[in-house]
Amino acid sequence: MARTKGYPEALDKKLQDQYFYPNDESKPDFLKSVKEISMTIPHMCYQCGTCTASCPSAPRSTYRIRKFVRRAVLGLDDEALTDPDLWLCTTCYSCTDRCPRDIAPTDVIMAMRNLAFKRDIVPVNFLKTVQAIYSSGHGVPNNDVNRAARVKLGLPADPPTTHTYKEYIPGIQKILDHYKLKANADRIVKEREG
Amino acid sequence: MDTGGHEYAFYLGCIAPNRYPGAESSAVKTSKKLGINLVDLKGASCCPAPGAFGSIDLNVWYAMAARNLVLAEQMNMDIALICNGCYKSIWEVNHKLKHNAKLRDGVNTVLKEIDMQYKGTINVYHLAELYYDPEIAGIPAIEDSVKTPLDAKIAVHYGCHLMKPRKDREFKFESQSKTEQPMWIDELVQALGAEPVQYRNKMQCCGAGGGVRGYDIVHSLDITNEKLINMREAGADAITEVCPFCQLQFDRGQIEIQEKFGVSYNIPVLHYCELLGLAQGMSPQELALDLHGISCEPFLQKVL
Repeated sequence: MARTKGYPEALDKKLQDQYFYPNDESKPDFLKSVKEISMTIPHMCYQCGTCTASCPSAPRSTYRIRKFVRRAVLGLDDEALTDPDLWLCTTCYSCTDRCPRDIAPTDVIMAMRNLAFKRDIVPVNFLKTVQAIYSSGHGVPNNDVNRAARVKLGLPADPPTTHTYKEYIPGIQKILDHYKLKANADRIVKEREG
Repeated sequence: MDTGGHEYAFYLGCIAPNRYPGAESSAVKTSKKLGINLVDLKGASCCPAPGAFGSIDLNVWYAMAARNLVLAEQMNMDIALICNGCYKSIWEVNHKLKHNAKLRDGVNTVLKEIDMQYKGTINVYHLAELYYDPEIAGIPAIEDSVKTPLDAKIAVHYGCHLMKPRKDREFKFESQSKTEQPMWIDELVQALGAEPVQYRNKMQCCGAGGGVRGYDIVHSLDITNEKLINMREAGADAITEVCPFCQLQFDRGQIEIQEKFGVSYNIPVLHYCELLGLAQGMSPQELALDLHGISCEPFLQKVL
């Protein structure tokens, strides 16, 4: 077998680097972060497209899960995180179920969404869910029409969740505050809606 | 009657108790008839919604799901639940924390602030799994409990988070890991005397998840619409599912589709627990079917 004689150090360096970074916009740390948060292996993707072919959102939008996985591998953070289609994944997990490389593309999307949130890139409906959970413990809280229906069924007006046992809510708020979720959600909602 | 000793902490979630209480009530009553005792789990919160909440910060998702699990651990009881989304949060986080020490330690650091610790001592089940398992209930037991056979065509919507991805699920029976063309919930429907109809792309998502219903409702409804077209093509008299969020998307969604797309299907949507309740002799009033968006009347007239 022919061996490189001219520049062994450069060859060593090349052999250490496992990933392909095509240009200056590529940030290796982006792939690292995505892998850490998603706990999956996007670098194994050989772009077969089975994921996009399985996706319910793809035929009715410009959302392409295959492209997002590619962006992760190529370290193209800005392109990925500012793409409004990032939020069109319904997390149906069809792509993950079928990926021939055992990658979880859905989890790549979730990781990217987490990273986008850190840049204050997030649709406001997600923030409203955080606020609802902070104040009541429920993402979809009870209402009076439902309370009346519950009583008619012989159920207590409120379920035995944090709605009835409100003493559990401070504990939930502590968890959310530990990650500064409420503060950030409130701040972003205020900036958007005034 | 002999309850057979199968007792579970009933994890309610949000949409069942707060929008479709008939699903909650029927779950308790139908389970009791099948020897399953569902006990109040006090102080539970949102699971939290895996798509809407996990998209923001997965660390908080793990911690909040773990808090709910600890409540059951404190009761020394396994959890039973009736929602695919809750299944993902509660079952999957339980599974992840049991096998990932780093994740578990991270979660327990946060839970320590509220005097809770996750220990990994209980298991989580979707009620449909318990119904299907002959050691707990089983198809013959369900058949025996039927007073009113539901003689109609029913399209089964499996939803997504219960079975997918199959490599991250650990069901008891092989039929429950077939994510391409499953039949096990069709079998549960057949046990009620109904005819489960096969329709195109039965495993397609309803479109609600991942926060998409809130982010771009028209996009989510377009996905639902495709399913409704296929279900109507198969002649479905009703749709059944095991996820209150899918139920909301198909039920309220049909009204929204009428408004926004100008097309009507009028196919009633019932949670399997509501269907089972009906078959076991519960009245439409006991099931709060009048709370549904799409009227169940045509279906009720057919089967009752």
